Amino acid sequence: MKSLLQLRVNGEDLTLAVPEAWTLLEALRYGAGLTGTKQGCDKGDCGACTVLIDGKPTLACLTLAHSVRGEVTTIEGVSTPEGPDPVQRAFDVSGALQCGFCQPGMILSAKALLARSPQPTDAEIREALSGNLCRCTGYTKIFDAVKLAANGCERQVPVRYGEPAEGFSVIGARGRKADSIAKATGEAIYADDIRLPRMAHGKILRSTHAHARLLKVDVSAAAAMPGVFAVVTGADLPTAYCVIPWTPDETALAIGKVRYIGEGIAAVAAVDEETANRALAAIVVEYDPLPIVKDAEAAIAPGAALVHEVDWKGRPWENNVCKEVDLAFGDVPAGFAKADAVVEGRWFYEGSTHAAIEPHCAVAQWSADGKLTVWSATQVSHYLHRELAKVLGVRTEEVRVIQPVLGGAFGGKSEPFDLEFCVAALSKKAGRPVKILYTREEVFYAHRGRHPMDMHFKVAGTKDGRITAVESDILVDGGAYHSFGLVTTYYSGQLLTGPVGFESYHFRSRRVYTNKPCCGPKRGHGSVQPRFAFECALDELSDKLGLDPIEVRRRNAVVAGDRTVNGLLVPSTGLLACLDRVEAASGWKERRGKLPRGRGLGVATSMYISGTAYPIYPNDMPQSGVLVRADRSGKLTVFCGANDIGQGSDGMLAYVIAEETGVSPDDITVVSGDTELTPVDLGSYSSRVTFMCGIAAQEAGAAMGAKLREAVAKAWKVPVERVKKGYGFYADAEEPGRQVSAREALVLAEAAAGTPLSSSGGYRTRKVGGDYRGGTIGASPAYSATAHVCEVTVDPETGIVRVEKVWAAHDCGRALNPQIVEGQIEGSVYMGYAEALMEAHTFDERGLHSGPNLLDYRLPTSKETPDLIAQIVESIDPGGPYGAKEAGEGPLHPIIPAIANAIADAVGIRLKRIPFTPDRVLAAIRAGGV
Amino acid sequence: MLRMQGFGYRHAGDWDEALRLWQDNPGAVYVAGGTDLLPNVKHGLLAPKVLVGLSGIPGGVVERDGDLVIGATSRLDVLAADPVVRRLVLPLAEAAASVAGPQLRTMATLGGNVMLDTRCMFYNQTEFWRRSLGYCLKAEGTWCHVVGGPKTCVATQSSDTVPVLLALDARLRFRGPSGTRELALRDLYRFNGMDHLAVEKGELLTEIVVPLPGDGFRGSYTKLRTRDSIDFPQLGLAVCGTWEGATPTALEIVVGAVSPQPKPVRGLDAFLGRTLDAAAIDAVADLVHKQTRPQGSVHGDTAWRRQMAAVFTRRALGALAHAG
Repeated sequence: MKSLLQLRVNGEDLTLAVPEAWTLLEALRYGAGLTGTKQGCDKGDCGACTVLIDGKPTLACLTLAHSVRGEVTTIEGVSTPEGPDPVQRAFDVSGALQCGFCQPGMILSAKALLARSPQPTDAEIREALSGNLCRCTGYTKIFDAVKLAANGCERQVPVRYGEPAEGFSVIGARGRKADSIAKATGEAIYADDIRLPRMAHGKILRSTHAHARLLKVDVSAAAAMPGVFAVVTGADLPTAYCVIPWTPDETALAIGKVRYIGEGIAAVAAVDEETANRALAAIVVEYDPLPIVKDAEAAIAPGAALVHEVDWKGRPWENNVCKEVDLAFGDVPAGFAKADAVVEGRWFYEGSTHAAIEPHCAVAQWSADGKLTVWSATQVSHYLHRELAKVLGVRTEEVRVIQPVLGGAFGGKSEPFDLEFCVAALSKKAGRPVKILYTREEVFYAHRGRHPMDMHFKVAGTKDGRITAVESDILVDGGAYHSFGLVTTYYSGQLLTGPVGFESYHFRSRRVYTNKPCCGPKRGHGSVQPRFAFECALDELSDKLGLDPIEVRRRNAVVAGDRTVNGLLVPSTGLLACLDRVEAASGWKERRGKLPRGRGLGVATSMYISGTAYPIYPNDMPQSGVLVRADRSGKLTVFCGANDIGQGSDGMLAYVIAEETGVSPDDITVVSGDTELTPVDLGSYSSRVTFMCGIAAQEAGAAMGAKLREAVAKAWKVPVERVKKGYGFYADAEEPGRQVSAREALVLAEAAAGTPLSSSGGYRTRKVGGDYRGGTIGASPAYSATAHVCEVTVDPETGIVRVEKVWAAHDCGRALNPQIVEGQIEGSVYMGYAEALMEAHTFDERGLHSGPNLLDYRLPTSKETPDLIAQIVESIDPGGPYGAKEAGEGPLHPIIPAIANAIADAVGIRLKRIPFTPDRVLAAIRAGGV
Repeated sequence: MLRMQGFGYRHAGDWDEALRLWQDNPGAVYVAGGTDLLPNVKHGLLAPKVLVGLSGIPGGVVERDGDLVIGATSRLDVLAADPVVRRLVLPLAEAAASVAGPQLRTMATLGGNVMLDTRCMFYNQTEFWRRSLGYCLKAEGTWCHVVGGPKTCVATQSSDTVPVLLALDARLRFRGPSGTRELALRDLYRFNGMDHLAVEKGELLTEIVVPLPGDGFRGSYTKLRTRDSIDFPQLGLAVCGTWEGATPTALEIVVGAVSPQPKPVRGLDAFLGRTLDAAAIDAVADLVHKQTRPQGSVHGDTAWRRQMAAVFTRRALGALAHAG
């Protein structure tokens, strides 16, 4: 029932012929092409689709288009021909935009707030934004942005607006991100914003059984339906794959058997999503249900059903343990023997998922000459490129992967997913472009999130505070497939040995298959869970030994240049400085253990890798490549395969190239994440990008800078040593006032070269890690260090825990742009806080998810999120670009044990299972709190 | 994204037109704010042929003959900020302000909040999810997964405003195919999650009438939820009374979000005319605890939610008794 819809949008009268069942969101995005309004949750739970109707924030996804009578303002209507609105610029300047996906809605809520309350209080800001979920920022920079907007923000601001670090012209300066104003204005094109001529819409039929044989998959009725262009099943895509090439145990669509509720079985492409949904309903699937392996404990029980009967080489599995690692370092029995105290316990980490606000989406198109282009919301264009070619059976040179602007990832988009293979296969069959956009529910089934871990730990120490032995036995619930599981299993043990070291260590970790969506890497891959157990045990051990927990961590701190007990070389560490900072800022010495009952302080620490030392598939090529191309108009274009997932890697590339060439970052364009245009970078995972792409960019930038200096020296007829690089210019060191702009230098250099100017750089694999099997997994060229103190209140009558404040000090080596580093710290703390208190990716006896939507799976809002105080410590790593290390994952780890330890300080209970829900807290208080 | 299809939309300018549109379109369903109905349509829980839109009918608050008469289409954000509502029945404003998140409140109406469908974690899910579950008693199935039986559906009445309105003894005005009628709110809800509203087909809630409590009135609404925004209540507690200092001369307590029916607490008369000291408050809390039986259709341990009813009661009464 299409009918004409009259809408007044952004001051224009629109007439659209749209179905009466369409929401305003569909009318705006798909009818009017106003794609700045985003869709995140399907049904009013996230706020991404917020628009203003007569100035009031309204959810477009729950408003029928034909019911609208008022004037609609979308994000596209906020900026004016004079430039972005001051609120948009304030969000940009404040670093409030990471992935940017929630921000059109957030900015409109902020606009409405400022219209009714021009100088809002903090409480008003938190309240007004509390219907707009942000997964990246922890809201802190958003609050800053609203306050800045209230006080007026310039419409035009250069990229670099802060002061750089000493001796630099760009590095260390606060600055804007390369793409954030495009995100703030709705200009940025995300995967679901792409619409190609003749494009069909795909949907995937999913299993309603957690474990069953597929007796029949009959797609004939669906294929015969009018408006259906193509149908594919597992038989069309039989090649197994895995992001880790050693464990290919998965196919694009299920073949023969399904292993979790939500697993793809068949896919259709049709003229529109509604027709595709009807076609799915016409597919007949017959299941023969099998016993379900519901969790890790069930997986190792004698007689448990096998999730996989054979492995990728056809060898039968004897049980569900898909990876076991058992490693010991130092004399563990002696370590326990000499200890004065031992803490032993069992901790349980519930699974959690990434829940980026942008659902996965992919579009595929085969060109007339047989080449495939896939646009996908991926954080690993390169791996996707390889796997697509493999599974589709085509040559890699026939495939191009483009990552559009990405709406959040956190590890959740770091391997191929069924939709990417399906759009490619459907598009080939249908002879037209095909798009698949996951529903929010499908995002939960795609998962690859944090593994549930059942962890037995023993930690021993002496009276002088030395940690003498650590032993762990960890059962890792992997879900139905391998994913990164081989690495996860190692990480669960290997990454625990710093920044607080110990003398001896034994860990055994077993990852098992279960009939649930596959787990994988979520921010802090594999190490967040054992970090929770270990840091809690350490707090308990400190109590037993009668020592201050910060002091115990100090006494065991790994020192720069040390090798950890498992052989990781730590070139730099700022742990002690981090501890000093949070100890002072929180008033630790005066307050810990002395606050009134119900209020407490807790500490925890962590380290994390700056990239895995080795690529996922062994090769000797650079892990990251950067090309720089000069343009005689005075611009540089930087090409790099890195995926900007909102963390700001495009900006990082621009700052580094600007630093090295003297060209202003305003004159640098970054092209990234496109396998046809950009040199390979392995992708955004394991916190590798700033370190590795940064070094590649430094090398490429230095080469370009050298060409410019030489050209200027030649023009001035002076030795090259006299030509000094400034911010946007080159100057003569001996003749004051003599200078040329960087733009002029580029022209001089191109004229001198007689060819267009370009340069390149790479990050080459460095040999690091222990000399034993598995000793390279967990090895990294550099490690960050983090310490958190948090303050909590625990209501002893309700069990409700509130985290009031978190002081998070993080050693990132050097902050290339402190604002972005702070954003990473704040976002990490937020995400860990959420896991500690409310998020739980749980399943029932059937293997059915407990609530795969953003109403039942609760992401914290702006109201309860604690005050986050990010503090940057710079240890200047000898191997990092300008000394930089990672900042995006390490700061997530400590917050969870810090909260647990603060609860112990507040009410004397030691919680060993997350999330710390009020019913559990209250039960623990009643069972034996003080 | 979850798409809807297969229904038409008719926009009503006033109540008469709404009723006529409903009568002219078999299979029609009313929609006001749409914040509860549309997710249910997206989940395949109902498949209307036509939606009759009420959002164009103006709401409003009028003081008339000792009553506060609130138009059913009044938006919750407007009520939460309305100076008359705040002055005369503050807990209603507090309850309205605690519903969902800010955007929802600009859309959702008080009438919609009263007429809200019951909710359950096994019901408010996608068709795919419910098919994987094997459906439930309330929709397409034969088994209640909450109580584990085939007979009773205990999906929860989850409105935040209803406990307050009940504590204030509000009345409802309906207009329907067989004319207009007035119904006490306390007679609206039945203990049946599948059919919890005592209304006839095609009836429209047009006005909510709140008797003005007068001098000495103090009340509050406390909401239990995980997050401070967006979430439905795990428990809602309305306390309304008329007070002389710490002594109530009238007292009503209603517990919401525990079952298909909001639960007015019985036996409070014994406390009228008594100074509510700590011991008396404990006694009331015990009474509330005894009478509160939360169903597991809402997340959170049921025993804990029950305990919270007592804690909330103690705290609310403590604050109200000492506010005078």
